[in-house]
This record gives sequence, C-alpha cells and structure tokens, in this order.
Amino acid sequence: MSFQSPHLTQQQVVLSGHGLVKYYGDVVGLAGVDVAVRSGEALAVMGPSGNGKTTLLHVLAGILFPDQGEVWLAGQRVDQLSDAARTVLRRRRLGFVFQDNQLLAELPADENVALPLMVDGVSRRDALGRARLMLAQVGLSAEAARRPGELSGGQAQRVAIARALVGEPQAVFADEPTGALDAATGAQVIDLLVGAATHRGAAVVVVTHDNAVAARCHRVLRIVDGRVSESQGAGR
Amino acid sequence: MSPMTDLGLRFVRRPGPGGRAANLAALGATAVVALLVTFLIAGSLGLFHRSDRIGWRSGDKADPATAIGAIVQEDGLRVDGLPMLRVDLATLRPNELPPPPGLDHTPKPGEIFVSPALADRWSSLSKQYGVEQPTGVISDKGLSSPEELVLIRGVAPGAVGEHPQYVNSWHEDLMDSRMLGLLMAVALGITLVLFPLLSLVGQAAGVAAKRREHRLAALRLAGATRTQVLGLSAVEQAVLGVAGAVVGLVGYTALTPLIARIPLGGGRWFVSDITVNWWTVLIVLAAVPVLSVISALIGLGRVSITPLGVVRGQTRKATSALRLGLLILGPVVLGYYGMQTGLLPVLIGVGLAALGVRIIGPWAVQVIGRILANLANGPVTLLAGRRLVDDPKGAFRPVAALVLSGFVTGFMSVFMPGENEDPTYQDLRIGVVLLLGLVFLTVAASTAAGAVGTALDQAAPARALRRSGVPLSVIERSARLVAVVPVIGVGLPVVGFGAFCGLVLSGGRIVTEGASGLLVLIGQVVAGLVLVAVAGAAGAPVLRKASAN
Repeated sequence: MSFQSPHLTQQQVVLSGHGLVKYYGDVVGLAGVDVAVRSGEALAVMGPSGNGKTTLLHVLAGILFPDQGEVWLAGQRVDQLSDAARTVLRRRRLGFVFQDNQLLAELPADENVALPLMVDGVSRRDALGRARLMLAQVGLSAEAARRPGELSGGQAQRVAIARALVGEPQAVFADEPTGALDAATGAQVIDLLVGAATHRGAAVVVVTHDNAVAARCHRVLRIVDGRVSESQGAGR
Repeated sequence: MSPMTDLGLRFVRRPGPGGRAANLAALGATAVVALLVTFLIAGSLGLFHRSDRIGWRSGDKADPATAIGAIVQEDGLRVDGLPMLRVDLATLRPNELPPPPGLDHTPKPGEIFVSPALADRWSSLSKQYGVEQPTGVISDKGLSSPEELVLIRGVAPGAVGEHPQYVNSWHEDLMDSRMLGLLMAVALGITLVLFPLLSLVGQAAGVAAKRREHRLAALRLAGATRTQVLGLSAVEQAVLGVAGAVVGLVGYTALTPLIARIPLGGGRWFVSDITVNWWTVLIVLAAVPVLSVISALIGLGRVSITPLGVVRGQTRKATSALRLGLLILGPVVLGYYGMQTGLLPVLIGVGLAALGVRIIGPWAVQVIGRILANLANGPVTLLAGRRLVDDPKGAFRPVAALVLSGFVTGFMSVFMPGENEDPTYQDLRIGVVLLLGLVFLTVAASTAAGAVGTALDQAAPARALRRSGVPLSVIERSARLVAVVPVIGVGLPVVGFGAFCGLVLSGGRIVTEGASGLLVLIGQVVAGLVLVAVAGAAGAPVLRKASAN
C-alpha cells in the first residue's frame, strides 16, 4: 500500500503504527491506521480538520495512548511504556515542532534550544555549546541571545526546529509548522526542517493542510474519518 | 442592553479554556477582600457598640457643683486570680434619670450589681463585700464583654472615694478610654492593611484580566474601540466583584461567632456587636466591585493602548538600580525626628521607608533572578531565574504586601512589650498578632491568585514542554521557585531593614521587653511564610490541568 521513494528503499523503518484505533468517547479519532516511516524519510499527513491527523501524530509520538494497535520506535514498543518512560523517550529520542513555535518567552534563543538537554542532565556549558552549534546550522548564530519576542515568526520557528533537533532525535513530529507563516517563509522553514532532520537520519512526520508543504515531503498520507484514504509519493 | 454588555455577560457565563479557573481564583480573592473589609468595618463599629455600653463609666464632664452623680473606677482588683473592675457610684442629688446601662435601677448605697461572670464567682467575694447575694445582675446592655468581671456598687455621696469623676447622666455619650486607644490602633492597622488589600484587589482583578488580555486584544485588532473593550472588561469584572463581595459577606457572617472570640479590648465580643449591618453590606457590595473594576481597567491599559504588544508578547522594560536610593529616605526622616516629636513625622518616616521597600522590591527580584539564571546549571533554576528577570514586577506583586508586613514586623520588634498586664500592652500584643494575621491571610490569597494567573499564562508553553518530554515536575518546581524566591530573597532582608528603621527611630535603643513579644512576631513571620508558600502551590493543579495533553 505505501509508496516507497526509490532513494529510501534501503532505509530501515524507524517509526511505525499498526492497526491504530483511538476513541474520544463515542467519537472515532483513528479507525485502524497503519503507517511506517523510514530513517531519513519525511511523511506529510493531510486531510480535513477533525479527521484524525493530529491524533495520529500524538499517538505515534507517545503523547496519547491508542485504544488498539501498536506503536514502534526503532524496535521498541512505545504504547506499552509507562507515562514516565514515554516522557523520557520523547525527550531523548523524539523532537517536536509546533505551529506557534511554543518557545519560552523568557529565555533567549540559545537557552530555549539548550533546555531539553539540560532537563536530560547535560551541563549548562555543554548544552549551550551544542545549542549554539545547532542555531548556527539553522542560520541563527547572530540571534542566539535574542528572546522569542525579538525574533520574526520564521526565525522563531527555526529556533523551534533547532530545539527539536539538538538532541539528535530518531523521529521529529511537526504539527502545522508553517501554519502561522507566509508562503515563502513557510517554504524555507519546511525545507530546513525536512533537510536538517532527514540529513541526520531522522524520520519526520508533518501534519499539514498545505499542499506546498506536503510537496516538500517524500510521502503523503491522507486521513479521512480516522482512516488512511490515500498514500502517495510527493515532490521529493 | 448594549451589545458589549451582552458580550461581557456571555464571557462570564462561558469563560473559555482556563477561564473558569481564572474566574474562580479572582472570585476567591475578591471574596477574601470583601471578608476583610467587612471585618474592618464591622470590627470598628463593634468598638463603638462596646463603648456605648461602658462609656458612661469614663464620664467626667460635669461640674461637681451641679453633677447628679460621682463615679470611681477601681481596676487593680482580682477575683480567683483574674482582673476585676469595680465601679463605685454615688447619687449626689435626687433625679429621675434612667439607670446606668444594664441595671434595672440606679444602685442605692450598699446595693451591688455584678456581671454574670462575676455572679458565678460571687462565693469568692461575698465575705469581702458582706452580702450573701448581690442585688442584681448586670444585663448584656451594660457589659463590655460576655466574660467581663465587673461590680457596680452604690455608695453614699461622702464615701465615693478621692478624685471621683462627676457626671450629669448615667448615659453620657463618651468613648471609653480603652476603646479609644483601640480605635486609634485599628485606624493604624487599617492603614497598614490597606496596601495589602489593594494589592490583593489588583491581583484578583489581574488574574481574570490576564485571561482576557488576548481576547480583548483580538477584539481591538478586530476593530473594537478602546472604550468598548474597557466597557466589556468592566462588565465581566463587576459581575465577578459582586459575586466575590456576596461570598465574602456570607463568609464573614459564618465566621462571626469565631471572630467574636478574639479577646481584644478586654475580653470576647458579643456576636451582636460585630454582626454586619445593612449599610455595611451596601458599602461592601458597592466598594469591592468598584475597586476590582478599577484595578482590572488599570491592568488592561496595556491592551487598550497597544493591542499588538500583548498579542506579540512584548519584552518588559528593565527596572533601574537607581531605585535603591529610595531606601535611605525613611531612615533619614526617622533619624532626624527621633521619638521625641509627634506621631505624624514618625508615620511619614515609616511610610517613606515602606514605600522605598515597595519600589525597590521589583529591582531586587530582578537582581536575584539574574544571579539565579547566571549560576543555574539545571533547567529548574534557569527557568525560574529567567522568569524573575522577565517580569520582576509580576513576581514581586503577590509578595509586596508580605514584604510590607515584614518591614512592620522588623520595625515593631524593637518596640514589643513583654509579659505586662497593662491592658494597653495586652491589646497591643493581640493587635499585632491580629494585624499580621490579616496581612498574611491577604498575602496568601494574593499569592494563590497570582499563582493561578501565572499557571494559566504558562499553560501553552508548559503543554509544549510536556509534549516534548520535559517532566511536569521540572515545570512545577520552577514555578514554585518563582513564587518562593521573592518571599525569601526580599521578604527576609526587609524584616532586617524594618528593625534597622526602628533602631534609627529609637536612637539605637531596643525598647522590647523580654523575649515573648519577639517570639510571637518571629512565630507569625514563620507561619506567614509557610502559609504563603502553601498558597504559592495553588497554581500547581491548575498548571497540571491546563498543560495536560
């Protein structure tokens, strides 16, 4: 069923969900979704609002428990882990980019990026060093000491990408990462996200409404009424 | 009804995500304000009621040549080890005037009336006064307190004792001297509690207003005028203010029997003395909502003027170290005038010193925050430090009142009386305990409201952090640190500054007798700090819920 990009065929599946079902009371969020994402692959999840895209992302990321089905990350079953273990897994092996960046307004860019490392016990000096390197890679060396309020929307989203990637995650999840940006800035941001993440071998899952964003991913998964209606190759 | 009023009422009914918690916190804090305001008004009126019943005992207005009666008060007596008051009363000329309050007739020579509490102990006194049973029992209308030990004895004009007080009526409209002292102390107390109360009103209004900031800013961006936005907010806040005032009044009424047990001014109170009357209800119902509306509108000025500023999350201006200079004003005034001058210069000096503390507080919080952030090697301290630097005024606001009470505590520690049986000293000790209790209660409510507001403010980034794998404990610990650091870091040094100002005023002498008064003060500060720390945790469940997936 799933489309395989020719240059990705040799890559291993890093993230997968099998028979995923999720209910919100009587409402069906997911009605049996199968999905697999390989190392270095970017998967766009599209579909109408309220049809299960974000639910799928949250279930794959271990934020929500599925009612049925399994979630695997690099050979480890995620949906059976305790809440504390999933918290650690998200911190150490996953990265997240949200629509409105969700940076902490009080912290300068470098500390925003360093924070997940510090939570994980990395010393402040090392964490800040790695954060500044990461910021340099997303083109924000000069903005390292600026706070989110002093950055443009695109710059703030690049800081969020740096924060998502600084821990060398195996998978990166992005929920409408360009939703608050204009088309040109959005294209730059998604290119940066997909490029930087896949370059490191991470699997990327992007929830989006934007065809232009989906076109920059390797594959598109369409979800309608909690089911996969279509899976196809995209622009890459 | 105007569309904006209608919209405002709709927002109260359906406050949106997080809005219910914010409205509840605002309502709770407003209720505490209403309760304390009611307590201050009803308590002050209680002093007048009490004085109305016993003021005649202090009567000394009449010309001895024309006076109808003479009184001598003997207050150094004891019964069963307890202090007792005796009033000797002589009718100097025949009259048809009503008897003293609480007596069925004016005592003739040899007649003795006693309070109910003293009647229970009469067996200890009957021999001394030579009568098996007293003539009558004084009713509540003539007593200071239900447990007052008082004896009113009729004596012949020639046996009334030296230096009597002469009266033209047994109902002279005089303020009892002890009540007058208490009333002055209450006035000073109200002045000291006023600032914490206003701070709490602002905090209560601010919590709900914070939730509205974005909504109102969005309305401004959508074309609503400044007046419309402020009007909308005023409607919401007024509804919350009235609801809070009602809850506060009901709370005060429920607590009245407990409040009546406070032995200030010579014993427990009659519940009827401090029961809230209709015009106090009207004052509270009007003043509390008006104050909270004003506070909310001041807080929302930022939205009205620059709606984009709130939407984009502006960086706040740093506070200046120049504020530090203000600290010297109070001690200079106190040192210059010393204790030999009148009350006014002392009050001005204390006021200036307290104001200095209030103004430099945010600067001190910012400095502490910067030190914390720079030294931090973990995420908890880093987050807390940066938050303190980012909004020192916000972090200081809930504890500003505590800092002021810390100052007063330090100041009074130099002047606390020891185990002295003088009624004035007893009242002073109870008054200080009561005052600090009120301040701490206010501060705790303020801290809790602030903590809820901050939790709601940080819900979105906290949710993102949790989804990214940051444990909730890290977020909660940093929030707790933000609440506690200003209390410890600024509150405690201010106690020392208060003591320094007291020493400057007394010329370096410590007037405090014994350690018991000081222990009371220290005990209260410790209890207050614990209370504030517990109140600071009020934001935790809100943050946990608001940042859940």
